[in-house]
Amino acid sequence: MSEIDISLEGEVAMYFQSLGINNGPGDLQYRLIIRVLAENEGHVTMFSDIRAYTDQIADRGSVGSKLKVVFLMSGLVEKVHRGGYVITDKGLAAARFIEKSTTFYRKAMQIDGIIERMP
Amino acid sequence: MSGLILNATICAAIMLSAFAFALTLYRNKPKCKDQSTPSMVALIDFWVLIALSFLFVCVRVIAAFYGSVEVDRVCYYIASVPFAFLPVPIVFFIVYVATGDKVASWAMSLLFSIFGIAYLTFLYTSGVVGPEVTYWATIFSIDSEIAITVYMAGLFIVPTAMIFVLLGITLIRKISRRRRYHIALVLVAISLVFDFILVDMVAVQDIMQVAARLFILSGVVLAFLAYYPPDILQDRLSIRKVLDAEPDAEEVDE
Repeated sequence: MSEIDISLEGEVAMYFQSLGINNGPGDLQYRLIIRVLAENEGHVTMFSDIRAYTDQIADRGSVGSKLKVVFLMSGLVEKVHRGGYVITDKGLAAARFIEKSTTFYRKAMQIDGIIERMP
Repeated sequence: MSGLILNATICAAIMLSAFAFALTLYRNKPKCKDQSTPSMVALIDFWVLIALSFLFVCVRVIAAFYGSVEVDRVCYYIASVPFAFLPVPIVFFIVYVATGDKVASWAMSLLFSIFGIAYLTFLYTSGVVGPEVTYWATIFSIDSEIAITVYMAGLFIVPTAMIFVLLGITLIRKISRRRRYHIALVLVAISLVFDFILVDMVAVQDIMQVAARLFILSGVVLAFLAYYPPDILQDRLSIRKVLDAEPDAEEVDE
């Protein structure tokens, strides 16, 4: 599994929050969970795999609750056994969107920088 | 020979307007944000170099009017110095605005300074042919193929391409009309001035030189309009900055 940059994900989430988008791309927990699940595509993702990233920013209770309320109820993941999840096609679409949001953030930062530096 | 007087007047107008614009930018420099200060300094340097170049070009044309070939020739050589280093601040400006990397901007500027020195070396060692004084202009021909190649390829085509890339990057993104107007007009003005200086330097027909100088003058005017758009233009393009707008009655109720 390739490394997920928590600080970059945090920056992107903060950027979207500054645009008033607090869920999805603006939610750091959501970003990290979907990224971990997408990286593990084709394999079972254990809750401990997710916690390896989320423990630095949130308690296990809120991450578990998000997994149930958002990911399981929306059909982004399927529970295969206790503490084991597999990402669905719908979940992969969500992961692609989150990936695109990072690209959008980078481009937005580039253009903001150009505007800032233009006298 | 009144064509030469008209030519000298255009040169004087370019020189004075470029100098006035550089002075205005310099006075507004303290209002700049920290991030935009280096690009502002580069822009001021660019307009100062334009003013300096056309100061000597103006003297050249007046000297030609009075039949002083030697002053014409000496002023041509002096004017070549600011002309040769004209791309340096522009390259700094473009690289800095595009990347924000000061080291890369300095490195690219240094590279273009070397191009400028190479051009001047070839120019001074090979010499020039002329002047050919006509009704409209005084024309020197550079007696070095390498100098012309360095001048056109190194000093002008690359920076012009950079300007258009930056223009493309900014225009394809969704930004406010006011910003878009400002950025586009600044870059178009620089490009116009820059490209017609190239035409001016390689012109072999007198009327081509006068026409190029008229376009340079309009480029300086465009640059002024980019920073200080008149009210009528702001209204027509809907780019007026809205200040102290009255809140709607409905908004107050909410």
